[in-house]
Formats: sequence, structure tokens, C-alpha cells
Amino acid sequence: MNKILLVIQREYSTRVRKVSFWLLTILVPILLAALYAIPIYMAMKPQDRAVVLVADESGAFGGLDRDDANRSDSRFVSNEVVEYRYAASLDYARRVMDDDEDVSAILYIRSRASGAIPTDACLYYRTDLPTQQTRYDVDLQLQRILRNRLLQAHGISDDEYALISGTKINLRTEDLETGREAFLGVKTVLGLVLALLIYVAIFMFGSQVMRGVVEEKSSRIVEVVVCSVKPFQLMMGKVIGIALVGLTQFLLWVALTAVALVGIQAGNSDLFGAAQQKHAVTEIATKGSEATAQMSLSGDMADVPQLVEGIAAIDFGAIVPAFLFFFIFGYLLYATLFAAAGAMSDNDTDTQLFSLPLTVPLLLVLLLLPAIVDSPSGGLSVTLSLIPFTSPVAMMLRIPFGVPLWQLWLSMALIVITFPLCTWLAAKIYSKSILRFNLLASWRRRRNNNVADDKMQ
Amino acid sequence: MTNGHHDIYKSYTLNYKLYLAVLIETKNIGKSFGSHCALRDVSVGVREGSVFGLLGPNGAGKTTLIRLINQIILPDKGEILFDGRPMTGDDVRQIGYLPEERGLYKKMKVGEQAVYLARLKGLSRSDATSRLMHWFQKFQIEEWWDRTVDQLSKGMQQKVQFIVTVIHEPRLLIFDEPFSGFDPVNATLLRNEIMELHKKGATVILSTHNMTSVEELCDDIALIDHSQVVLHGNFKEIRESMSTNLYEVSVDTKENESTAADLPSWCHHVSVDGDGNVFRFKLDEGKSANDLVELLLSKCRLLSFHEVLPSMNDIFIATVTGKEVEQ
Repeated sequence: MNKILLVIQREYSTRVRKVSFWLLTILVPILLAALYAIPIYMAMKPQDRAVVLVADESGAFGGLDRDDANRSDSRFVSNEVVEYRYAASLDYARRVMDDDEDVSAILYIRSRASGAIPTDACLYYRTDLPTQQTRYDVDLQLQRILRNRLLQAHGISDDEYALISGTKINLRTEDLETGREAFLGVKTVLGLVLALLIYVAIFMFGSQVMRGVVEEKSSRIVEVVVCSVKPFQLMMGKVIGIALVGLTQFLLWVALTAVALVGIQAGNSDLFGAAQQKHAVTEIATKGSEATAQMSLSGDMADVPQLVEGIAAIDFGAIVPAFLFFFIFGYLLYATLFAAAGAMSDNDTDTQLFSLPLTVPLLLVLLLLPAIVDSPSGGLSVTLSLIPFTSPVAMMLRIPFGVPLWQLWLSMALIVITFPLCTWLAAKIYSKSILRFNLLASWRRRRNNNVADDKMQ
Repeated sequence: MTNGHHDIYKSYTLNYKLYLAVLIETKNIGKSFGSHCALRDVSVGVREGSVFGLLGPNGAGKTTLIRLINQIILPDKGEILFDGRPMTGDDVRQIGYLPEERGLYKKMKVGEQAVYLARLKGLSRSDATSRLMHWFQKFQIEEWWDRTVDQLSKGMQQKVQFIVTVIHEPRLLIFDEPFSGFDPVNATLLRNEIMELHKKGATVILSTHNMTSVEELCDDIALIDHSQVVLHGNFKEIRESMSTNLYEVSVDTKENESTAADLPSWCHHVSVDGDGNVFRFKLDEGKSANDLVELLLSKCRLLSFHEVLPSMNDIFIATVTGKEVEQ
């Protein structure tokens, strides 16, 4: 036992002192903080007003009006994002653009026969693409003017329109017993995040175990070590040591990310005040750029209170322990097998070959991900969340939606039973292969011999 | 091919006298890997305080036997006795093993690594550090303590490896091709260190292809070929038993010019050496040194006379190829 501790200690201390460990530990929180801060910062940053020349030949968008400047509902209106200037024709606009560097684009609306309302408009640019904000504003105003035209033409008043467009029915998915809303969007995202975390952790740290084993084998230190430590102890020491490295890194990520976020907020309290932030988030969401996540979260355009409500409705008391359980056992299950794969290899090519079968079960789960998310309680989802080699990832996809307790316990029991079997098998392969080199070559030789024998007969 | 010649050479396995207690003994050990039989019915004994040569061609099963003794692998058949009782996992602590395929963690610092390996052998951290310091000073490699292994030359690495093999002062030292990778100066240094440990009472098993060092160092030998022990016993006795009745004689040729002429049929003149006054004679079976001396005394003045025993190299080749010893 003491020897396992020594092995664990070596694995841990040599890895934690590596530059690459600290680089990764520091870079990930910076990346996460940047992901959080940059969109908000970009949204809050005052930008130069873009100048767009409107060459409206149809006249439907105010291009032929001469003195009707105050009829804002049928004209483009300059705002803090874009300054609109009307131009008589495309040719004229083109000449203006040649002279004036401030002009960033020309909006050209072609006239249609018989004065019908145009259905096409084109935003011409030269060299520099107009910003997304500009394009978004142009589009918004086009739709607004078009809508006003149509309302006018059909004699619908603004009040009537407001009534029609403002009235909608909200479909909710609720639990019949508790009457609580399901918040499917939030749960799907949460499930995906948890499942991906486990997936990445298994492969990241599993392959570290494998590389460690290959290193010991190819540097030929292994025979020196196994005469004082049993191969099983060496293997388990490595697996546990790297697990501790993984947990350390994980905790440091959480802590450093928190520090980074708090730091950003403290440093820019004016920029990241609560009200500002909400404004920024909604703005981002409505602009549709980084809003895909939020949009899918609550169906209705990122409604922050609803998102918060959705998160609050999730049963973290069950999810966090389950996550930790499947995180640890999923890793242990795969790490021992990765160690066995490493013990059979002498070089990188072998490593890839022997570790390939190990990647299949989890890859399968990722491929079936849409089906699992579509029906978290379906037969496929339940099966995958019970099989020990797929359950760590599959169960995480399901768990935010609520999993029947018996399934959770069964899945846990199966993985707990499989773990020692798996370790036993891995240890057997490990101790048999760790001192043998060129396994592949010797298999090939044996196969060729058999073939030769057959031919002789 | 058959293993027929092994049966012939079984007869050379000598009546093995136990001058000292046997430290480690394998009894009818058998080990197979899949369909390949690595060791068959191997019984060898290593006397405490002796230097034991474990010899054999490549792939004969020497490394397998060493790994079995180190309990890295377990035998399919037979048992291993340590100090007269079945060997347990704890006994491995009393063994220091320098494998033929040896290496170190390349990215780890030398001192740290040596401490780790010594602690795996059961030493405390402080004990390990002070003993290592002593050895590092002895080999004059203290300044390497804080360097990583990949900065060391191969010879340096071998020194570190030797140190961690002997650091826990084991009763039994096993060296598998210890001199490979050393230049002559360092090989001599290593040889002296091994002999010093031997003088202090350590039992040494030496597996090597270097036959000269076997002749110089080993008290007993075992020769393994095709998974079996084909020769086992005291080196001197084996040598004498394999004598080919060859004698080297130097005579004063001034007195009689025709020494080589008219020899009886049982005495064959093999070669002439030196200034024509050193002769080698091979005698037929049944004739002894006395007969030759008698013959020579009648013919010339004898300056020296001794039996030429087969070298370890000759014995090895003869045993493995299944031919008579040729000299």
C-alpha cells in the first residue's frame, strides 16, 4: 500500500510541476473569462456611426420624397448606429462613395414594374464589409418601413397591429404531478455541458495515463520499477495519481475562472453593472449574434428572468453528486483500460491502434446525442445510460431531465461492479505486456507461421 | 531439430557440493508464454556468498529465470526457495536487480529519481538521501544530482542505475549484462565495486556473454540452452571434468633436437610455440599426466609442465553446439 502511495506521489508531483500543466491551468480560465467578457464589452463599446447611402429607385422607402423629412415611418431614420443619407440614383451614390471615405455602404432598392412594392434590396460595399450592427439596422428599418406601408395600404391602424402582433400563446411543458415547468432548453444545455465535460476529461486524462505507461515502457525503466512494485500497484498508482492531477486542475479552473470573472467585474463596475449587463445580454440576444445559446434556452428570445428561473428549477442536489460519481468512475474505468493499451504499445502508432477500440463506445454516444436529447427517457437513452462504458456520458445527458431513481442506482451499481472486473482484466493485460516488446510484430510473425504451416499441410 | 545433445551434456552436471548454505534455489521451474516454452524443469542453486554465472545463448531463457527470481513473473511449475523456504514477496527487498533492458525517467531529476527508486525498495527518504549522497560522491557525480536524466551520457546513466540497484544493500545482487554500455575504465570501476560488495558478503548472480569476466569472477555457473539447464556446477570442477587431456610443456631444446620425433601412438603432438621450445601434447584416453612426464623425462630436460584446461568460451561453445571441446 505504501508503495502505491509512493507511485501516486511521483505521478502527481512530476506532472503538477510541468510547465504544460500550469499553462493549461491558466489559459483555460482566461479563455472562459474572455468568452464571457468580450461580447459584453463589444456590445457596450461605443462605435463609429456608419454612413449608408440610400438609393431608392422604387420610392417605396422614401427615396422619391422631396420634403417629407418628418414622415419617419416611411423613411430611413438615422440613429446612433447608422447615419442614412438619401441619394438620387445608384450612379450618384457611387460617386459620393468614391469621394467620401466615411460612406461604408450603398443600399440600392430597384424599382419594380407597375409600382409594386419591392421585394429585393442590395447593400453594396467596397473593400470593407459593413459591420453586423449596420446590416442589422438596415434590415430592421427595411422591414419596419415595409410593414408600415402594408398597414397603411390595408387600412390597419397601429393599435390593431399592436394587438395582433402582441398576442400569442405560450406553450409550456409541465410535470403533471408537481405542476413545475420542464425548462427543456436549459436542461438540454446543462446535460450537454456535463456530458462533454466527462467526455473530455476521460480522454484527456485517460490518454495521459496511456502516454505515461508507454513512456515507462519505452524508456525501459519499467523493469527496474516492477522488481520493487507489483505491476498492478504501478498501474493503479499511475491511474490514481493522474486522477488527482485532473481534479487539481479542475478545481484550479473553477477557482481561477471565478477570480477572473470577479476581477473583470470589479475592474469595470460601470461597464458590468447589473443593469448594464442585463441590457447587454438582451442586446446581444436580440442581435442574434452570440445569442444562439440563449435563444434555444427559453424558446422566446433570451428572457433573462426565465433563464434564471429555469436554472433555479434544476435539481442540483441530485445532479452534482451524480456528476462527481460518473466523472470519477467513468475516468477510472477507462483509465485502467488505457493503461492496458499503453502496456501493449511500444510507439505512437501502436498506441493509436490499441486505444482506438476504447474511443468507440463514447463516440457512439456522441453520434447518438440528438436521439438521446430528443427523447431522454426513451429506450435507447435508458440502455446507453445503463451500459457501464457509455453510462458516464449518456447519464449526464439525461440527468437534468430527471431520471427514475432505480435507473440511476442500477447504472451506478453496474459501473461499480464493472470497475473491478475491468481493472482485473486491464491489470492482467498490463502485467503480461509491460515487459514484452514488439507485440504487434510477434503476433504478425505467429500468424505468418500459422499460414506457413497451413500451406505445408 | 532435436534437443538430443542436452541429454549427453546432462552427464556433465556435476555432483554439486554445498560448501555453503544455498541462498536461492529453483526447483523444477517451468514457465511458458503462450505456446512458447521459456523454461523447462530448471533447477539451480546459488550458494550464499558466491558469484554465480548465469550463461546461455540469446533467447535461452536467462532473463525469464531472473524475472522469476525477482517475482516479476510467477512460474507455471516448480518453486523458488529463498534461504531454504518458499520465497515470498517480501524477499524481493533483499534483491538488487540491474536488468539488461534498463532505463530511467528521462525528464526527472537524477537525485529525485534515485530517491524515489530507493524508497520503493523500502528505504526512508532521509536514509535514501544520505546513502545516495555517499554513492554519488564515490562515483564523483554529485553535480548531476539536480540535472534531468536526458542531460546525462549513457555511461553516467549506467552509474546511476548501478547505484539504485545496490542502494538498499541487498543480500542478493543480480546483474544482467552489467558491463554493456561502459567504457573499459568504467567497466573496471564497476567490476571492482561488484567485487567489493561481494567481499562484504553479498551473493552475486552475473548474467553475461563476456566469458573472460565469467572466468575471472564466477565461482559457480549454470548454462541454459533451449529453456533447459545443460550445465551446472562449480566452475573449476566443470573445467577439470571437461579436460581434454591436453598438456603444455616447455623443454630445454638445446639438449635434444628431436623431441617431437618418434612419439608413442597415445601421445599426439598438437602445436609448437615460442622459440620452438613450448609444445602441446594431447593424450589418448587412459593415459595420464604421469605417463607423459615419464615419456618426456626420458627424452629431454623439462622446464615446465601444466594441463591446459578448456576456457569458458570453449566450454560454452562446445556445450551449446553439442560438439567436443576443441582447443
